[in-house]
Amino acid sequence: MTAQILTPPRGPQPHSRPRLLPEFRMTGNGFRTLVRTQAKLLSREPTVVLAGVVLPVALIVVFGLVPSFTKPAANLGGKTTLDVYVPTFAMLSSVLTALTALPVTFADLRERGVLRRLAVSPVPAAGLLAAQVTVLVAAAASTATLVVLIGTVGFGAELPVNLGLMLASYVLGTTALISLGLLIAAKAPAAGVATGFGVPTMIVNFFFAGVYVPLQQLPHLLRTVSGFVPYGAIVDTWSGSGAAWQHLLVLAGYTVVGSLAAARFFKWE
Amino acid sequence: MPAIEVSHLSKSYHGTTAVADVSFEVGAGEIFGILGPNGAGKTTTVECISGLRTPDSGRIRVLGLDPHHDREALRQVLGVQLQESQLPGKIRVREALELYASFYTDPADVDQLLEQWGLADKAASRFGKLSGGQKQRLAVALAMVGNPRVVVLDELTTGLDPHARRTAWGLVEQIRAAGVTVLLVTHFMEEAERLCDRVAVIDRGRVAALDTPAGLAARGPAAGQRMRFRPSAPVAGADLLALPEVSRVEQHGSHLEVTGDADMISAVTAYLARRQIIAAELRVEQTSLDDAFIALTSHDGGISGSPAEAGVGGGTAGR
Repeated sequence: MTAQILTPPRGPQPHSRPRLLPEFRMTGNGFRTLVRTQAKLLSREPTVVLAGVVLPVALIVVFGLVPSFTKPAANLGGKTTLDVYVPTFAMLSSVLTALTALPVTFADLRERGVLRRLAVSPVPAAGLLAAQVTVLVAAAASTATLVVLIGTVGFGAELPVNLGLMLASYVLGTTALISLGLLIAAKAPAAGVATGFGVPTMIVNFFFAGVYVPLQQLPHLLRTVSGFVPYGAIVDTWSGSGAAWQHLLVLAGYTVVGSLAAARFFKWE
Repeated sequence: MPAIEVSHLSKSYHGTTAVADVSFEVGAGEIFGILGPNGAGKTTTVECISGLRTPDSGRIRVLGLDPHHDREALRQVLGVQLQESQLPGKIRVREALELYASFYTDPADVDQLLEQWGLADKAASRFGKLSGGQKQRLAVALAMVGNPRVVVLDELTTGLDPHARRTAWGLVEQIRAAGVTVLLVTHFMEEAERLCDRVAVIDRGRVAALDTPAGLAARGPAAGQRMRFRPSAPVAGADLLALPEVSRVEQHGSHLEVTGDADMISAVTAYLARRQIIAAELRVEQTSLDDAFIALTSHDGGISGSPAEAGVGGGTAGR
């Protein structure tokens, strides 16, 4: 009945050297059940659903309903305010779930001894993190799709010039943000600590993505820095004005380094 | 091959020694107790056995596996119930069992577990809504979900009312009946006497004694008998003390408490009979594992562990 990806070894193993890469062996059934269970648990947390799904959708609807936001503005290079904010709001769900829901959930599980219990079961840390990421990415991606549809079809915002680039930057951007969140999730001993690291990281990302002031109005130096902050790199790729490949490379870097480090340094208690 | 071998285990945290030198072996199919006052190093010992902590030195084997290096293989054959471990408050009982079952290559049947541990009618309840006893039953069911060959139960009955505690003992006996080796950490003497084949008393990070519960009780310095009664006429304490079998006489209000060796009871009753004194409300107690435990873990006359923690004295027997 148990479909297996890899069979755990039976009997003693040769004594192993310190590993560079985290272990990731678990039953296929285990991973699927873990994803399903975490999805159910997430859906039972109304605040997470509210912030991650309802908020971005509500924002795009509100912006779409403001008449002046759908008219081209000279200081935005002929784009409408709505055009500029579609990518921002589409990514908002990823940012919120990656930098608040994810680290706070894990820190809370750690604080209450839930991870301690999991630590004596065969589930590896990487499997646990990967399952949570799967659930959050699925939730964030559906929200982003909804936001883009409402913005473009509902209120006539312009789609990004290059759809392939848009998708690539969305996927890599989300994984980059989640890797940052995972780093906090891997170590934070309590929910309060996770919030303490997650929220400032989120505010920095907001700033460099032009949430507070449109990117087009930031000084040149800050716009350059913004290309190295995940949210900023994503938004800049979508707008089609930035150095797309460099942005994608930056996002890939965050993803690889962040997620490996998170799985490697994961603390069960 | 013994189920568990621990030799010269030591572990300190930030310069504080938790376990100084602990060695013992647990045979396959045994219920082995680890007793000790709070802070004696019991939990650290089982955490090292479970692979949650890396020992500073010493050697541990569980079914021949090294808990640190053979972590993955060990997880499949060792079931653990830990103190201070929890489930998410909103997970349902069946979901939790199905989740943990999915991690094992050869899991137990979830419906059967629900039935066996009396959780069938709670299958749809959230973990946060369960009573203490129900949470403990779920913790044991989760420890058994992988069909383990060895199970560690850390303070299984702490915080349970006496009724739930007795139910939990029944559960441990069920586990043994299934042929599983049990390592039971407790500070309830009565529990150790009732369940354990052998017991290690751990004190200040060392094994203070290792024996069967009966063997421990018998070799405690306080081994012997104690009787308590209300004499129908005044009795001179000094006369009783003069009997060679009597070691101590205490007056508690109208009651006398007399302690002495195995022949003390007949000596005292004969003395009372000669003076035609009737011993009313007579109670006779064997000195128990409790006394042996207190004697083994008292330092400089002080007693570690409050009487409440040491549990109710076992072996009260009328004669």
